[in-house]
Amino acid sequence: MPTLLEVQRAIYRSLAAGDDAACDELIVSDAIPAEARLGIYRNTFLGTLTTALRLAYPAIHRLVGAEFFETAARIFISADLPRNAWLDDYGAGFPEFLAGFAPAASLPYLPGVARLERAVNRALHAPDAKALDLSLLAAVDPTDHNRIKFAPHPSVSLVQAEHPIDAIWRAVLAQDRAAMAAIDPAAGAVWLLVERRATGVEVARLTEPGWRFAAVLCASRPLQAAIDAASEIEAASALANLLAAGRFVGFELLT
Amino acid sequence: METRPDIAWLEVHTENYMGGGQPIAYLEGIRADYPISLHGVGLSLGSADGLDRAHLGRIRDVVERIEPVLVSEHLSWSVVDGSYVADLLPLPMTEEALETVYRHVDQVQSFLGRRILVENPSSYLRYRHSTIPEWEFLTAVARRTDCGILCDVNNIFVSAANHGWNPSVYLSALPADAIEEIHLAGHSIRRLEAGGVLRIDDHGSYVIPEVWALYAEALARFGPIPTLIEWDTNLPALGVLLDEADHAALLLEEAW
Repeated sequence: MPTLLEVQRAIYRSLAAGDDAACDELIVSDAIPAEARLGIYRNTFLGTLTTALRLAYPAIHRLVGAEFFETAARIFISADLPRNAWLDDYGAGFPEFLAGFAPAASLPYLPGVARLERAVNRALHAPDAKALDLSLLAAVDPTDHNRIKFAPHPSVSLVQAEHPIDAIWRAVLAQDRAAMAAIDPAAGAVWLLVERRATGVEVARLTEPGWRFAAVLCASRPLQAAIDAASEIEAASALANLLAAGRFVGFELLT
Repeated sequence: METRPDIAWLEVHTENYMGGGQPIAYLEGIRADYPISLHGVGLSLGSADGLDRAHLGRIRDVVERIEPVLVSEHLSWSVVDGSYVADLLPLPMTEEALETVYRHVDQVQSFLGRRILVENPSSYLRYRHSTIPEWEFLTAVARRTDCGILCDVNNIFVSAANHGWNPSVYLSALPADAIEEIHLAGHSIRRLEAGGVLRIDDHGSYVIPEVWALYAEALARFGPIPTLIEWDTNLPALGVLLDEADHAALLLEEAW
């Protein structure tokens, strides 16, 4: 008699990889063959995950069209199943998949828009967290300031792209054809900060050095490393802006 | 929610509220006016390789924030080797599967510090090596772990039709004292290319007369149990949903 684990692995191979070989011995076939029965589950499973990706990547869905999206999603799903049922968090690897997906190569900005959508989705669903209590920071000895490492708010992402992905993303979601036509995909690089505010998710453009400064701090590297990485900006005011906007939830000192 | 309809309680999928931000804040707002039931689809009580502790932790976080009246999950599996196969897959009805579900329901109830309900799934396949009728399996889980049963009357009808069981036999075998919630729903009939017909539980249409009749049998046997109508695909106007709920309420009243 097959063990429970053997049964579950056989069903998994059937649904995820289309390999029904082990299932015939396991599943009752009568007027309806085992493959057709498994097909019902396969449709639900693929449909559920395709919908999860469509909800997480609505602009990509519009840019490539429903049919292309479904094809790409199915290839991605079979290679990168979710680890759990929290599907709001599914699809982290989709931007990278698109970057390597040859049929999408004619849209060079597509992986960038996908990375932005991933950041937006993360901002939408990140856990709630209280902003850093600044009085705790005030208690740090000034000689230790450059050793401070911050913990970023879980909704914050820093996204960089060689194309104006924020303008493309906005125009596509607004279905604004005039705005879309006015975008020059070769207009140049953008440096973006994505986060959840009380009013919703915001996507803001930063200056290139300002982005570098924030990126080093959000990677929980010490303040001195951020100052070194962006020596051309006024670190004190850049840091004050990040703190005032509640982009950090904690800190510790580099030892 | 703006019209504050006169409904007794609401049920949501636990997995849709596992993040922060607006969804859970909105649910907290509703919670101020209505009792909430948390209905999970992803815990995979039947996984051979154990429960996912991180997922269980996310469920506990939602439970602590929402303080639901009921917490439920399914008699099924969805996770193997750390991959989530996004559907409620049937378990082989064996002693090994029974021991697995006992262990996991015990773990969940002790981790959450409360009783959960386990729901009978609809199914489209059976395993050759199954030895225990599903109604005996579910009854054994309730007896052994002291969990409650979420009796999905439509699922009983669908599975019975798909596997040639008698739905009344299924219903009458369940322990009346363990039934704490009832689900009703519409389903569709699919003619397969390979031949044959399967009933598919898709929550996208009216409850059919045969299921209403089975519901009346359930109420006669279990008493007036809180009942939820699941309609979450092809959503109709709110008025249609409320009419369906009224139909159930009428039968519930008769059961008092």
